Amino acid sequence: MGLPKGTTERLRKIAGEKGVLTSPVDLLTYSYDGTTNWEAKPEVVVFPTTTDQVSEIMKLATQDVIPVTVRGAGTNVSGGSIPVLGGIVLCTTRMNRIIAINAANFSATAEVGVVLHDLNQELVKHRLFFPPDPQSFLAATLGGCVSENAGGPYAVKYGVFKHYLLGMRTVLPSGTIIDLGGKTMKNVTGYDLPQLICGSEGTLAVITQVTLRLLPLPQAHQTVLAVFDNVVTAGETVQRIFASGIMPAKIELMDNWLIQRIEEVTPLGLPLTAEAILLFELDGMSEAVKKETEGVVDCCKKTGAIDVRPARDANEAENFWTARRAGFSAIFGNAPTVLAEDVTVPINRIPELIGRIRRCARTYNLTIVIIGHAGDGNLHPAILTNRKDPAHYARAEKALDDIFAAALDLGGVLSGEHGIGLEKKRFLKQALPAEAIELLKEIKKVFDPKGILNPGKIW
Amino acid sequence: MLKKKIIHKLLKIVGEDNILTSEEDLTCYSYDAVNQKFCPEAVVFPGSAEEIAAVLKLANQEQFAVIPRGAGSGFTGGSLAILGGVVLVTSRLNRIIEINTENLTAVVEPGVVCGEFQKEAEKQGLYYPPDPASLAFSTLGGNVAECAGGPSALKYGVTRDYVTGLEVALPTGEIITTGVQTIKGVVGYDLTRLIIGSEGTLAVITKIYLRLLPKPLSSITLSAFFKDLEDSAHTVSSVIRNKIVPAKLEFMDRGSIECVNTYQNLGFPNETEALLLIELDGDPVAIENEAEKVKKICLEQGSFRVERATTTKEASNLWEVRRAISPSLLLLNLTKMNEDVVVPRSKIPQLIHRIEEIKKKFNLIIICFGHAGDGNIHVNAMYDEKTPGERDKTEKAIHEIFQEVITLGGTISGEHGIGITKAPFLTMELNDFEIGLMKKIKRVFDPNDILNPGKIFYG
Repeated sequence: MGLPKGTTERLRKIAGEKGVLTSPVDLLTYSYDGTTNWEAKPEVVVFPTTTDQVSEIMKLATQDVIPVTVRGAGTNVSGGSIPVLGGIVLCTTRMNRIIAINAANFSATAEVGVVLHDLNQELVKHRLFFPPDPQSFLAATLGGCVSENAGGPYAVKYGVFKHYLLGMRTVLPSGTIIDLGGKTMKNVTGYDLPQLICGSEGTLAVITQVTLRLLPLPQAHQTVLAVFDNVVTAGETVQRIFASGIMPAKIELMDNWLIQRIEEVTPLGLPLTAEAILLFELDGMSEAVKKETEGVVDCCKKTGAIDVRPARDANEAENFWTARRAGFSAIFGNAPTVLAEDVTVPINRIPELIGRIRRCARTYNLTIVIIGHAGDGNLHPAILTNRKDPAHYARAEKALDDIFAAALDLGGVLSGEHGIGLEKKRFLKQALPAEAIELLKEIKKVFDPKGILNPGKIW
Repeated sequence: MLKKKIIHKLLKIVGEDNILTSEEDLTCYSYDAVNQKFCPEAVVFPGSAEEIAAVLKLANQEQFAVIPRGAGSGFTGGSLAILGGVVLVTSRLNRIIEINTENLTAVVEPGVVCGEFQKEAEKQGLYYPPDPASLAFSTLGGNVAECAGGPSALKYGVTRDYVTGLEVALPTGEIITTGVQTIKGVVGYDLTRLIIGSEGTLAVITKIYLRLLPKPLSSITLSAFFKDLEDSAHTVSSVIRNKIVPAKLEFMDRGSIECVNTYQNLGFPNETEALLLIELDGDPVAIENEAEKVKKICLEQGSFRVERATTTKEASNLWEVRRAISPSLLLLNLTKMNEDVVVPRSKIPQLIHRIEEIKKKFNLIIICFGHAGDGNIHVNAMYDEKTPGERDKTEKAIHEIFQEVITLGGTISGEHGIGITKAPFLTMELNDFEIGLMKKIKRVFDPNDILNPGKIFYG
């Protein structure tokens, strides 16, 4: 579909000459996101700098019924920011001011285009801490994180974006600007619309500003690396640690494939035959961290870890985490297409899920790498494939189906932190009853009667 | 009155032992913790989600109101049958279905009493933080419907932060499960958090999936006495500014202390104008250090005495005193207008100062206590209903307090909800667009407006 005549001109009037892109090369840049298997070109990309401009753009889009897809850094991994029906991509990256950091209220207000890492850099200066840490934090914007309800390794102890959202400024598809929630730690006045919009994947309203709750920066950190010759033992270790009353800040799991890649890239002297490593971070008050470290080491040894290494200093700790990131990057360097999933199961079902994923890999003759947040049951099985090799890709898709089925079967969910977007649309019916999907659609209509905001997503 | 035919059908659904229709019986269900009385036409005690769904279907067919009720301890009239109809009491749904120590999760029915659940969790070494002062009798279903908080919200958050999923009966009679039974999940819009805090207007909660924490290893309770009310408020800000997040930080003014004192001699120093109750929890050594810091801050800010509870018994007595304030206010033999305002926590001193001014201006007894640490203060204006003009005057004072709260960037309700008592003030905080969205969402769930009608939006 083409845009109604004059749309580009009108957008230029709203966002300025430099705030609108239309050349084919530019449009191509905004046709994909962090998923490697979806692509669709918008007809125009617009970069508003104020909430009022966003409102003007939405009014125009509503008037002419043009699809609008909101995009932050495009790092999301479920296809949420891909303009499947063309139209306008509304990119928030120029709305990137941190408006206030209030140390006395433990809150921060920022525009949605602020990159998570930039916010964190500022917060450290005030000895403040914003825990949610999606692994795309170097590029991901706050708006995208709120829209997807992003989480990361810290979610075990600290939860996800939702737990830190106090308020937001939004623009409805009609162009109406409304402030929801506020700056207070508690608020039960009316229905919880900020929580409804958080995680709605950009389909209900355009968020332009968010107010987030902060914590004091923990006094001390300690990283522990534990090596296992058996994934089941690693799973048991996690349960034993919780049962002993310790709540680590992060518990990350990596499988044998990753151990091998780590040894290639940043050797830590890990046994190449080891089946799994767990990487823990403990944080809090120094005395407590010391004791909890002993507790974790003890639990690991008791369940049968073949090697347990508390990081000797900050440097070594950083090496361990760098290895994890390097391992993760290796996944994408080893295949043209990666289906990186995000299933979540109850913590005690992790070993079973891993067992089923492995069986799947054997059945379809595929490499499936397992990395994930073992502490909250959220695994990221990554299927290495190639979209341009139809036979291989077909097998990968089948494996994906099986993994989703396994997760649901084990009492889990399709997505822990990535969202449904395009990637998991076809599985939604398995995950939600028809009545619930109907409710979601009706709610969508309340916010967006013409269906112009990020159409074609979730269901 | 409900037709005989309808009563008969209700009886068929829940069984004859589980329905009340006599005038005396109905009176027992005609009030909650608000001083207003509305008699329902029948009270039913369903024994399953299916029975609840059947009652709701019947209500849709026959167009009568259904008002869900737990223990009836709500402070805003949420469980009152203001338009008659059928009160649906969840007390028979009182099973703790599962406490899972491996996953740190639990599944409960809505009629389970909060405090009893906490004790059960504790037996397994686990901790369910939300602790409304009514915890000895209020039900988890009610807590979820109102998004109850409590002193521990400061460090641990409110009910919402511990609910991962719900099973609900929709007003139209379908039973659906929302959210997840895992720690994380983003699958479709967050209906769970939309229903939490919706005050029984969107769905009837039939099962609750909860997340738990390991039980903190130890705790220390401090009480700090102040001769000057505003000094105590500044102390709260100072503790937070020093990046200390106690588990609880409660404030009581002279009026609240005196009230409790009338039936339980507390032996507090006479010159006490305000008291802060502070609990620190976590690693025993770490909290020793924190306690020292907190004590120092209190003394610096003008506390004339800081005491530490030497035994668990002494500590729990102090918290009993805190919970006794609200019921003991009734001993004044006056009517209370019970408010639940929240301001950004850095604004607590300003709010307290302003309330003092308003107290003097209107010559009213206004008793303040509450969760100072998270900015949530319970403001109780006490008046004699029999004296002409008193009610008007009190309402004016409350109105001024609300105005101040909104000016300070706060909200009129932190944990009690809007119900009927705060409905007249809703427009002070929310604009027409926001209220319009909420009403439309209500219609999506409840097209015939049979579930708890007349609440929140109808001031």
